[in-house]
Amino acid sequence: MTDDFGERDLGRRLTPREASDAELLTALLAEPSTWIEPPAGLEDAVVQAIDNATVVAPVATLASPDVRGRHRFRRGGAWLAVAAALVAVAVGVGLSTTRGSEHPDFKGELAATSLVPGAHATADMYKNAAGFRVVLDAHGLPLLPSGEYYQGWLRDAKGALVAIGTFSSSDGRVILWSGVSAKEFPTLSVSIESADGNQASSGRRVLVGVLLPG
Amino acid sequence: MTDGDRPARQRSRAGRSPYGFLTMDPSALNAFRRRDAGAVREMYREYGHLVYAVAHRALGQHELAEEAAQQTFVRAWRAADRFDLDRDPASWLATIAKHCALDIYRREARRPTRALSEVSVRDEPVSYVPAETLDAIWHVRRAIDALPDEQAVVVRLQHLDGLTQREIAGKLDLPLGTVKSRSRRAHRALAELLGHLREPIDD
Repeated sequence: MTDDFGERDLGRRLTPREASDAELLTALLAEPSTWIEPPAGLEDAVVQAIDNATVVAPVATLASPDVRGRHRFRRGGAWLAVAAALVAVAVGVGLSTTRGSEHPDFKGELAATSLVPGAHATADMYKNAAGFRVVLDAHGLPLLPSGEYYQGWLRDAKGALVAIGTFSSSDGRVILWSGVSAKEFPTLSVSIESADGNQASSGRRVLVGVLLPG
Repeated sequence: MTDGDRPARQRSRAGRSPYGFLTMDPSALNAFRRRDAGAVREMYREYGHLVYAVAHRALGQHELAEEAAQQTFVRAWRAADRFDLDRDPASWLATIAKHCALDIYRREARRPTRALSEVSVRDEPVSYVPAETLDAIWHVRRAIDALPDEQAVVVRLQHLDGLTQREIAGKLDLPLGTVKSRSRRAHRALAELLGHLREPIDD
């Protein structure tokens, strides 16, 4: 096979280094990955992912407490700051009541499958007395036609599935509830299901990821 | 495979790469650097297949490779203003792609097993691939891109599909002599382009 890479052209035997390089190149040319082409939907998925990343950035900036504070004083004076502080306290109380803890017990990122290439999501799982609350922040999932819905699933290493809730669009956060922990059921997926009475997963997964200890 | 199976890519290249062919138009690169949304598709069409090849070799699974490719371009986009226009964007993306693939590999490696229903027959298990191998895949893929299509298809049929030159001639409906000469020119070009095969990608 080294003949393919110039032995004849050179008119001499290849040096050990040249022969070794030729063998490596021959092996690489036989690798499917060397020749593989990306799936047709990947370009749109990349563009969508960048769009999403671009949209998220300004929101994060606005959420900065320092920036918010400066603007507040410039606009309205001290009374507005006091009012805002009261609102912040009220919201904080509400959030702490709902969340139970500030840091998730498990968290993960979900990647799109080729069914909906532009979708993406993050998920946080919080343990409380009732079970496990899963906050799914999903984007890019289109509104489904009537009779279809999205369903969240947790899966263990043996393939056992536990349904954790359904929803119909993904313009932000969705709260799902699980009776099992991501410690034993680490794989979180979202599938498209039909309201046909069949409780088994359709297998039409649109998002998949793994929840790891937070 | 026929010549037509090799996807046509935009050839808007203006600078010389180590492979002897032109790289992406500097004005398009500048647009990407300014985070002009229209430049994303141009960047992807130029380098998406290279990124995907590295990601697929590293991770062995289509879904994970797609995830790594998406992350690569998002990270590149976020760091676009720091991109040095004098650098080869392909090498820059290769480095990001390797890091993304490695991050996903580490994440997947923490999983003890995969459920049988999640395993595609097309997928290979995720196993560690040395960075040198990924660099080599990158170099080879770029060199193949530098070949004329009629030579690339002969190399593919010969090495990937394992056909003899006579079988290739029959498949492409070409005289055997034409196949031999294309194969010889292609391999000579690859040998010249890949003299640096064992060199790491410029980080």
